[in-house]
Amino acid sequence: MIVVGPIVGVTLRGMLSRRRTILLVLLAALPVLIGLLVRVSGGRPDADRVLDTLVVRTVMPLVALIVGTAAMGSEIEDGTAVYLMIKPIARWKIALAKMLVAAGLTSLLVVPAIIITGLLLGGRTDPMASIVGYSVACLVGGSAYAAAFMTLSVFTSRALLIGLAYTLIWEGVLAGLLEGTKFLSIRQATLGLAAALGVNVPGGQPLSPEVSVLVLGVVLVGSFLLASWKLARFEVRGGD
Amino acid sequence: MTEPTGLPAATSAAPPNPNAALEVDHVSRWYGNVVAVNDISFALGAGVTGLLGPNGAGKSTLLHLLAGLLAPSAGRVLVGGQSAWRRPAMYRQIGLVPEREAVHPYLTGLGFARLNAQLQGLPDPDAAAARAIAIVDLTEAAGRPIGTYSKGMRQRAKLAGALVHDPRVLLLDEPFNGLDPRQRLHMMALLRSMAAEGRTILFSSHILEEVERVADSVLVLYAGRLAAAGDFRSIRRLMTDRPHTFTVSSSDDRHLAAALMADASVFGAELMGGRLAIRTADYDAFTRALPQIARANAVTLFEVAPTDDSLESVFSYLVRR
Repeated sequence: MIVVGPIVGVTLRGMLSRRRTILLVLLAALPVLIGLLVRVSGGRPDADRVLDTLVVRTVMPLVALIVGTAAMGSEIEDGTAVYLMIKPIARWKIALAKMLVAAGLTSLLVVPAIIITGLLLGGRTDPMASIVGYSVACLVGGSAYAAAFMTLSVFTSRALLIGLAYTLIWEGVLAGLLEGTKFLSIRQATLGLAAALGVNVPGGQPLSPEVSVLVLGVVLVGSFLLASWKLARFEVRGGD
Repeated sequence: MTEPTGLPAATSAAPPNPNAALEVDHVSRWYGNVVAVNDISFALGAGVTGLLGPNGAGKSTLLHLLAGLLAPSAGRVLVGGQSAWRRPAMYRQIGLVPEREAVHPYLTGLGFARLNAQLQGLPDPDAAAARAIAIVDLTEAAGRPIGTYSKGMRQRAKLAGALVHDPRVLLLDEPFNGLDPRQRLHMMALLRSMAAEGRTILFSSHILEEVERVADSVLVLYAGRLAAAGDFRSIRRLMTDRPHTFTVSSSDDRHLAAALMADASVFGAELMGGRLAIRTADYDAFTRALPQIARANAVTLFEVAPTDDSLESVFSYLVRR
């Protein structure tokens, strides 16, 4: 496991370019800024609804999409992944290191945003329960999103586009309309886990705690296995 | 087609050649309907081998196959007698310098070499990185971010990364690209000294003179096929002795054509569009004889131009043989 450290280090340095860092921080700050605006304007809406709409449905998947696809996909695209792939390292260690970075960075950006926004807005019932529930659920859900998008970027150079379509079209529209497809949605599983942790999740009936945990577990483990499998068959793109 | 010096090319289902550090056995690689590498076989031992071919010949594809970064569509690629594909442990023996310039721009040259040493799992990455940086003569700029490097410096940083674990086999894709003449000479001397220590070095180039100055043997690739392989001098002779065509413009083309046909070096002459096309099998003898024959026949030469001297036509000729 000695090599995981250097992979994590170089991945982090590569990901945190100035432009990407600014974009990520702005995205994560969005719910906080809205919370501040609400407080300054004297309103006191329900924190659960803001956290659900802004964080779980918007900020978390977008942050995970940017971070997850950048962790491996950008290195494959710019050609620097070759320096990693021509080393005597088991491919599952590379997949693990990349997932740790993607999941860790997503959590680092999303969880503080939840805590600060939750504290600013409060809630109708128990604000601390909402903050803890959403934080834990988004820690797991955000990691699942990041792992899935990281894996997607190992398979295709269009991971950003496909990830965006999954988030906006599948999760945003279809999973809401077709009740039976909820279990194919990371967002629904995250909300199900949040509900199980005592959050009063707005909207319809969330997934059961068992199904939510199962979905998130399958996404995390499945992404890891798929990424390891694909990296073991890594082929360079281009060349004559 | 000649075989690589001292090492016969492998045959299908043959046991691995124990003397070969690199062995390619009837390997093809295609992308959809496009064949990038077509049924190539060779084996290489210690020494410097040049992989020569025009752009698009399949040089990078072949190097990527050897480096285990592409799966062969057919055949097998062996490094140290074992498959190169899906065997990460092989990378302890191999160093690769890819053609793409992409190197982590935020790392310093020394940091990049250290990262490679760490990823190789070396016990003292700092010492290994410093040694590799010194070998490629990059010590002065080692503390600067690679993003500020010239193309030649970046090339040397990539080489340092490939040398950090002292590999037995070194694969270099167009390593002389971007190097100034002094750096070029240094790189050539470096490759030769590493080969003298018993390493197997394969480098690609589309420049004949580059290969000529550093390689003992050569693999000539054209349109995905191995056009020639073996001792560089014999292949160079093949290239020089092939039929050449010159176009000549003179004060009396018809008279000159008749006079040239009497010379042994010329085997064809044709008047076409106000110019004279001469075919010869002996480049040197013809270029020596032409001015003498013209002078002896009181013909003034206005222009003499070889029509097929591009490297492309040389490769094409080798493939047709």
